[in-house]
Amino acid sequence: MTLDFSTIPEVWPALMKGAGVTIQLTLAVLILATPGGLLVAFLRLAPQPWLRALVLALSWIFRGIPPLLLLFFAFFGLPIMGLTLQPLPAAILAMTTYMSFYFGEIFASGLRSVPPGQAQAAAALGIPAHRTLMRIILPQTIPAALPPYISHATEILKGTALAAAVAVPELSNAAKKIFVVTYRPLEVLIVAAAIYALLDGVLLLLQMFGERWSNRRRAGR
Amino acid sequence: MDYTLIAPYLPDLLSGFWITVQLSVLTLVLATPIATAIALGRDLGPRPLARALAVLVNAVRLLPALIVLYFVFYGGPQLGLRMKPMTAATIGLVAMGAAYMSEDIRGGFSALDRGQLAACRALGLPFGHALRRVLLPQALPLIVPPYMTRAIIMVKGTSLASMVSVADLTAEATRASSITYQPYVFVLLAGVLYLALSGVLVAFQAWVERHLRLRYRLAR
Repeated sequence: MTLDFSTIPEVWPALMKGAGVTIQLTLAVLILATPGGLLVAFLRLAPQPWLRALVLALSWIFRGIPPLLLLFFAFFGLPIMGLTLQPLPAAILAMTTYMSFYFGEIFASGLRSVPPGQAQAAAALGIPAHRTLMRIILPQTIPAALPPYISHATEILKGTALAAAVAVPELSNAAKKIFVVTYRPLEVLIVAAAIYALLDGVLLLLQMFGERWSNRRRAGR
Repeated sequence: MDYTLIAPYLPDLLSGFWITVQLSVLTLVLATPIATAIALGRDLGPRPLARALAVLVNAVRLLPALIVLYFVFYGGPQLGLRMKPMTAATIGLVAMGAAYMSEDIRGGFSALDRGQLAACRALGLPFGHALRRVLLPQALPLIVPPYMTRAIIMVKGTSLASMVSVADLTAEATRASSITYQPYVFVLLAGVLYLALSGVLVAFQAWVERHLRLRYRLAR
């Protein structure tokens, strides 16, 4: 049995198109779930106990149900409630929702790593709350939160493969559509795997630069 | 909600749930020793073995689980390995799970001072003995929390088996949904069952942590 990559040039445009959708989906979820995660983190640390309990319960539910099932729910379940979405927006909505809760956990533990005395000191000095947050608290959470943040970003990238199940034409879906025609799954899967590995590599590079940047910033103070 | 419409599909949903339980137990039981072997091989094995294992683990961790399952289920036959969906799904999920789990286990061991093993060797303690009496009592309490988190992720990950035509809980729920046009009832029901499964694991984690504290007389 030998591998035969001769059909790859012919299917390359289709794979690239799929990779494009994968990148779109990853970026959309990353951009939307980051503020979503911050919101969840702030609610997790809110002064109202009922609010904390509510967010904790939601976090448990969304992190406890398989992402695939959540995607099915967004795609098949929401239309009943009057919200019919195209596959791509449905996937973005589902993934953003559950990733916000994963990010929320990371950001909450990052925020907890900053001693509460600092916020009190800032308040005592008369610094407005939003500026305390933006200039004092958040910059300090970055070193703690960055590595898990990037590793969850790669989880988003890998998670986009699930969107194939709700007919989003991303990379895995494109690969499958090709090999059910060519009857040579291995070659197409190897190429698709290489593309995923490449995209993962980009995120890991970002992490390296991000860590260096945040170390430099800290050292500069 | 129309219960008469839902009732006929409950047996299917239950059989799907049973498949999911089997798949979860199978992947956890198979992945744990493999992950432990990988972790020990990478930390204590000869350098070429450690290198090879590192490449393998990181390659698997770069890929989406779905692609790994496709490799086994669709790519396997091209190599003459034709297998049932359930077998293919188990192999794929075990490979995925073992790769991630070996990192969790390594994390626990990395907290230990390497000098301890050297000291054990100097004292003439056999390796198995050193592992059981010296290293594990210190590493296990560190390994259990990330291990259980991983176990829960793996249980949720079994839902991917539905993509290679295993009739698991996710597959049955979506099938029932598409036949009855009752989209969210079955999906919600499946969600509750998955939450129950991970609830069992969380309870098990609490029990194990308590047991370890008592057994090794650890401070809280």
